[in-house]
Amino acid sequence: MSLEGRLALVTGGGRGIGRAIALKLASQGADIIVNFFRHRESAEQTAKDIEALGVKAEAIRANVGEPAKIDEMFDMIGNKFGRLDILINNAASGVGRPAMDVDVKAWEWTMDINARACLLCAQRAAKLMEGRGGKIVSISSLGSPFVLPNYTIVGVSKAALEALSRYLAIELAPQGICVNAVAASAVETEALKFYFKEGLVKDKRQVTPAGRMVIPEDVANVVAFLCSEEAFMIRGQTIIVDGGTSVGLFTLVGKES
Amino acid sequence: MTVEEQIREIVARITHVDKSIITRGSTFKEIKADSLDIVQALVAVEEAFGIEIPDEEAQKFQNFGDFVSYVEDRVAQGEKV
Repeated sequence: MSLEGRLALVTGGGRGIGRAIALKLASQGADIIVNFFRHRESAEQTAKDIEALGVKAEAIRANVGEPAKIDEMFDMIGNKFGRLDILINNAASGVGRPAMDVDVKAWEWTMDINARACLLCAQRAAKLMEGRGGKIVSISSLGSPFVLPNYTIVGVSKAALEALSRYLAIELAPQGICVNAVAASAVETEALKFYFKEGLVKDKRQVTPAGRMVIPEDVANVVAFLCSEEAFMIRGQTIIVDGGTSVGLFTLVGKES
Repeated sequence: MTVEEQIREIVARITHVDKSIITRGSTFKEIKADSLDIVQALVAVEEAFGIEIPDEEAQKFQNFGDFVSYVEDRVAQGEKV
């Protein structure tokens, strides 16, 4: 599955799942633009690690929650490279609250970054993919099809992301652009440590049929496959990466305690 | 307007509190700023002063005064765009 000569943008690509995706695509030959917002050091380190794989990398700061910043980022990509082959909508944020405590500010913050940004990035990316086709993969979570504690807005934003992926898959198919999503259960990242600390997520190792928690590389492997020509006929799907947790839910009752 | 006054206006706008109650000794809890308010205040201050405030630094802020002092230092270092 060579991606040699391809150019990929990974939003939120400096840390966690985004970093793993960026490194995976780079290991297959793609040049990578690592978008970041709050963590420059991590993004620059990821860019260095990518370059060590023998491909080009660039870290670009942009808050994808702001449409003007998305425009600036794509203007830069357009001016400098004139093309884009792969867009990974990975950047995410959110406020952990039950539905009754969600206010407008928290809703807009989360939806702007997790859902609206996917649309705006896809619109700009599609223009840079004109005449050459491309791949768009967005990162979702099990909080879309299932109810997770205090995950209301993030779950809803991920549902929007998945629905958007279906609509884009059909609308962009004539342009040779494949659009899909990947949804993971709790992934071992820095973000997850925060959720553990806040008591929002318990250790899922005991209840994952595959015997361990999902790691960022598990997600990256599926994303890389969706970016390959082997996945050409997969369109508008959300691929779940959870070690079997979601299909085995009823076999797990009582085991978590 | 001083750096402190500008940051006070930004924080008051985001947290919807009267700026007169925000002193250098005010903790974010006293200002009723939740984690989202703090991130939004950081972003707004970064925009206003043309600087980046790494999360690692922001996590050290114990109160409004720490926030102001950090930005004052950065501005004094000539990082304002």
